[in-house]
Amino acid sequence: MAAIRVCDLRKSYGDVQALDGLSLSVDEGEFFGLLGPNGAGKTTLINVLVGLVRATGGEASVFGYDVVDHYREVRDRIGLAPQEYNVDRFFPIQEVLEHKAGYHGFDRRTASRRALEALEIVGIAGKADARFHQLSGGMKRRFMLARALVSGPELLILDEPTAGVDVQLRHDLWEIIERMNAAGTTVLLTTHYIEEAERLCDRVAILDRGRKVEVAAPDELTRRGTDTLDIGLANPPATAPQFSRNGVVSARMDDGRLLVTARGGSELVPDVLRDLETKGYTVTDLDVRRASLEEVFVDITRTAEGTV
Amino acid sequence: MTGSRTAPGSDERTDAPYTDGGTGADTSEGGSLLGTDATTAAEAGQKAGGLTGVRALLRREILRFVRRPGNTFLPPMITNVLYFAVFGVILGGRIDQIAGFDYIVFLLPGLIVLGTISNAFENASFSIFHGRWNEYIETVIVSPLSNWMFVAAYVVASAIRGLLVGAIIATIGLAFVTVTNRSIAVAEPLYLVAFMLVISTLFAGLGVVGGLWARDFDYLTVMNQFIVRPLVFFGGVFYSLDVLPTVYRLLSLSNPMVYMVNGVRYGFLGYSDVEPLLALMEFRGVTRHVQPFNRANTARRVSRCDTELRPTV
Repeated sequence: MAAIRVCDLRKSYGDVQALDGLSLSVDEGEFFGLLGPNGAGKTTLINVLVGLVRATGGEASVFGYDVVDHYREVRDRIGLAPQEYNVDRFFPIQEVLEHKAGYHGFDRRTASRRALEALEIVGIAGKADARFHQLSGGMKRRFMLARALVSGPELLILDEPTAGVDVQLRHDLWEIIERMNAAGTTVLLTTHYIEEAERLCDRVAILDRGRKVEVAAPDELTRRGTDTLDIGLANPPATAPQFSRNGVVSARMDDGRLLVTARGGSELVPDVLRDLETKGYTVTDLDVRRASLEEVFVDITRTAEGTV
Repeated sequence: MTGSRTAPGSDERTDAPYTDGGTGADTSEGGSLLGTDATTAAEAGQKAGGLTGVRALLRREILRFVRRPGNTFLPPMITNVLYFAVFGVILGGRIDQIAGFDYIVFLLPGLIVLGTISNAFENASFSIFHGRWNEYIETVIVSPLSNWMFVAAYVVASAIRGLLVGAIIATIGLAFVTVTNRSIAVAEPLYLVAFMLVISTLFAGLGVVGGLWARDFDYLTVMNQFIVRPLVFFGGVFYSLDVLPTVYRLLSLSNPMVYMVNGVRYGFLGYSDVEPLLALMEFRGVTRHVQPFNRANTARRVSRCDTELRPTV
């Protein structure tokens, strides 16, 4: 069964089309990333799933339950860590977690135990009696994760969970999320850190202007990017030799080195070397720079903009 | 990163023998929340008839005002000590009896109504609006509470605050009545209880409407100062309708507060300017209409704050 199934989902705010016929499916147990520039519709999609926004068209279901008709079943299964801090500051953080677990139907003793446990998992049990505004920036992010997991969700939705945190904390948070996923929890993650998606996600969807542009494993996406062959020549010419081969995008000289950009660059290496030999060049060294997911992401969203 | 006490999950707990449901990991590594027994309460069979969630929200709402007596109970105490001292004792001593009662005795039920409804209203409207303003109400929305549970918790908690304030005012009033060598007894206890329940629930419900409608903190002040207070002051708290010229008496009969004040007054004194049973039926009817309205509008209005409030903050 799909953990999330979204079909032709639309949401408009006046003239602004936040979601424009988005269709998407996330498998149970999957670690799924949502990438996209600001305003791509990532947060709107999440808000439709949890019930904070009503879609103007299309359907969305979580574990087979429609998000409107069976909202209680849906919300009981979701743990949400939103991007913006929206924490009750009237109560100490442990009580905030107890309330949250209580809303999910856990009795007071169980809720209390789970609250403490969640704080321990994210490493801020020592601050149980503090109010949210008394926490440091990093602890606030830790708390957001604790609140998402206190109800034992089957689907963990993390909207920019590591925005603005240092490297160490980011790795701490990643470790917790990965363990949740390893234990069977489906994870939906939005992020601006491409490295985060590359490291964590089984598949990523790239959204742009409320539509899905691409869904694939991060590796597959990087394979589609253009690699760069950085070639040293014994007698570098002033203008770059041209290659008439499939996959080669461009060739240029830069600071005495020949830079060839090509799709599937490493596979083209023997052909390019042979071409250079035929043309009478002597290759002294060669370096292949793989496309990063970041470059692919920029390429894809730029192309999508061009076609609109 | 300061205050990071332990690495995730490295804290040994001896009091809770968690299992991780067979993943084979050490139980100290993260506890049950991270294991495959990370089940929802529904699956764990802990839903307790589905009411545990609404009880948790009710508890949160009640604790919010109980833990802040300086903000919630002290102000009406001070205000009513002033009312009883100035109107009841100082001025009241120079006023003839009204409808056969000493003025301070006549005043007491009206002040109870005034305090009860303003506090029930203020609690619901503030709690809802504050949650929208700071967005933490989203935590409740994204929880598996049904819309009626959501409304019920806010209404019941706010009605309880109204009733507690009513009881505080009654105590203060009784102290003043006793000190001035007068006496008061509850003439119609059933009417008193019924009216107090109905008016506190009605205004808690209206407070929910107000909290959902407000787009700014000023709206809350406007509702209380410009609508609730004038209606109460002209609602026969401080005088009997009999003292008014006919035109104003008839005009007053269109003010719903008149019936509430007189209903509670009938409960205490057995005296009312209007027919109490009719008034009670009216308010039961009104209250029954306010709550379904809230239920239908809660989810929609609360989520609208997402788009309406944020840009103005």
